[in-house]
Amino acid sequence: MKLWIYVVRRLILLIPTIIGLTFLVFALEHVGGTALFLAQYINPHLTGTARQKLVEELTAKFHLNDPVYIQYFYWLAAIFQGDMGTSTTLGQPVATGFVWFMPNTIMLTIVASFLTWMISIPIGVYSAARRDSILDQSVRIVTFTLYSMPVFLIGFAIFLTLGTTWRLFPDQGNVDPILLPTIPDAWFDHTTAVSYPTHILAIDAFLHGDWTVAWNSLLHVILPALALTLALLAGIIRILRASMLEVLEQDYVRLARAKGVPERLVHNFHAKKNALLPTVTSYGYLVSGLFGGAVVIEYIFTFKGIGWWTTVAFLNGDVGVVMGSTFVFGLILVATTLLLDVLYAFLDPRIRYE
Amino acid sequence: MATVTAIGRNIRFDELKLSGRVFFANKTAVAGLVIFLVFMGDALIVQVAPGVLGIQYPNDVVPPQFTQTNPECVGTAPEPPSIAHPFGTIQYGLSGIGCLDLLQLVMKAIRIDIAISFFIVFVGAAIGTLIGVVSGYAGKWLDEAMMRITDVFFSVPFLILALAVGFVIGRTLLNMALALIIIWWPLYARYGRSLTLTTKEATFIESARASGSGRLKIMFRHILPNVLPPVLVQISLDVGTVILIFSTLAFIGFLPSNALVPELGVIANIGLDLAPLGYWWTVIVPGAVITLFALAVNLMGDGLRDVIDPRRRS
Repeated sequence: MKLWIYVVRRLILLIPTIIGLTFLVFALEHVGGTALFLAQYINPHLTGTARQKLVEELTAKFHLNDPVYIQYFYWLAAIFQGDMGTSTTLGQPVATGFVWFMPNTIMLTIVASFLTWMISIPIGVYSAARRDSILDQSVRIVTFTLYSMPVFLIGFAIFLTLGTTWRLFPDQGNVDPILLPTIPDAWFDHTTAVSYPTHILAIDAFLHGDWTVAWNSLLHVILPALALTLALLAGIIRILRASMLEVLEQDYVRLARAKGVPERLVHNFHAKKNALLPTVTSYGYLVSGLFGGAVVIEYIFTFKGIGWWTTVAFLNGDVGVVMGSTFVFGLILVATTLLLDVLYAFLDPRIRYE
Repeated sequence: MATVTAIGRNIRFDELKLSGRVFFANKTAVAGLVIFLVFMGDALIVQVAPGVLGIQYPNDVVPPQFTQTNPECVGTAPEPPSIAHPFGTIQYGLSGIGCLDLLQLVMKAIRIDIAISFFIVFVGAAIGTLIGVVSGYAGKWLDEAMMRITDVFFSVPFLILALAVGFVIGRTLLNMALALIIIWWPLYARYGRSLTLTTKEATFIESARASGSGRLKIMFRHILPNVLPPVLVQISLDVGTVILIFSTLAFIGFLPSNALVPELGVIANIGLDLAPLGYWWTVIVPGAVITLFALAVNLMGDGLRDVIDPRRRS
């Protein structure tokens, strides 16, 4: 099977999942009753007849007096137009909030994933190659302990030691508040603290040649990324080590050894690639944890991504954001899983024939 | 007939003895079991006779007499770990409502944490396994539909889904457990299904069908008993995982401040404001206790898995 046929087939299989996702979010929004559903479209300060009028308008727009399946389609139409209501905490449409905060989360998760792989591949491979050595045993103890730690403890330990106590790196927000007044209005909105055009402050500052701000806001990424990396690391090292041990038992590895290939080459050339393949698939399952972890870690470091925004919205009863997040995070996760599957099929042609 | 039963019982007893020997030969698994038993013992004492540990109000973070600002505590900072307070003390809010001994609070919390984690995993596993067995055995469209439904639950990061469900059904301790059951059952549905699919092909199922057993009898009398042991091992491992997730939920403030219960994540949430001021133990201690519990359960679960899966015995 050609790769593109596989991709198309995977895309078709995605349709029921996405429809199911819309069902799920729709059900969550409506199970709380009409008042909760309408809350995401109404400004809480609105009172009296103006509010009454808006409620009537919205009832008509979403056909709230019609059967549920009709309501669903009107709701779906609104979602497709990007209308997810208004965030009461932000005072902006929910969709705008996602445009503002999503880039930060994407950057954080990409940096953390990259770090995770960079650290876990050599450790996992080496630990399996030197099975039961002192290094292998200490790696196993450390990963087992990390694996048993709640994300908030990992995040908070980093926050307290490297941030608050030793002050190695900044631990709050996306940039030092002292630098804020120096940023020109041309590409930074001072009332909402959003930068343009990418909304990632470090990149925007770089694009506009403001090196101080770019460097400073880059420093703000380090601790959250490190915490997220530590939260992910243990799972990947464990899978990689197990998979490497399995590969090292294979006949072709034995043959390579028998014909006198140096051990270092056996590990790096023969075994590593094949051990990495199943780890990539397992990574798909870890991505769910990656986004969940991002929520907690962004909250601890007040790193302004959608995770932080969702938590603040949750704590302040902002329905639109919580529901929108469920939908958007769902879409991101589905897309990431698809990408990983395609990557896997690209790396290992056997998968396409299953 | 009587002899057959006697022999059957003997074989079962021997198997149990062998399993026990395999488990107890594994030192780390035994260490896990010991720590786990200490936790269970604490939970049991707090449940039955909290007075033994000097605990008066096992269900409250702040004892009722402290609901107003406690004059003795106003202005005093949380105390670091000392002989009088091995884990230090913690205050509810900076206004100093109660100078609470953290060790006592942790002992109360362990009972509630163990209760919720077992509740979530057992209910989730019961619902999930049942659905998994039925859909795996029935196959066809029922199975297909079940798989698509679980796909949907897996398509949202579990922490976000739990937040959203909790948001809708209300932020209480019981609802937190319900929200986690909703994200937990699909795991067991998948697992139960895949176990059923392999068991279904066994010869004894075929002979049961040939001898005229109905579908229900095959499912519950023949397949379920074979699916249960690995599911039980998974449960033992998940008790350690689920505590990490719900304590994290509690940490970010799932329970509103007027509905606090002594739970390790809630204690860490109270410490969230205190720890950056230098009172590190208010977050690190409850976090470390959670880690210890999860570690013990994971070690024990790994040992149990070795018992169930003969290929892993070495």
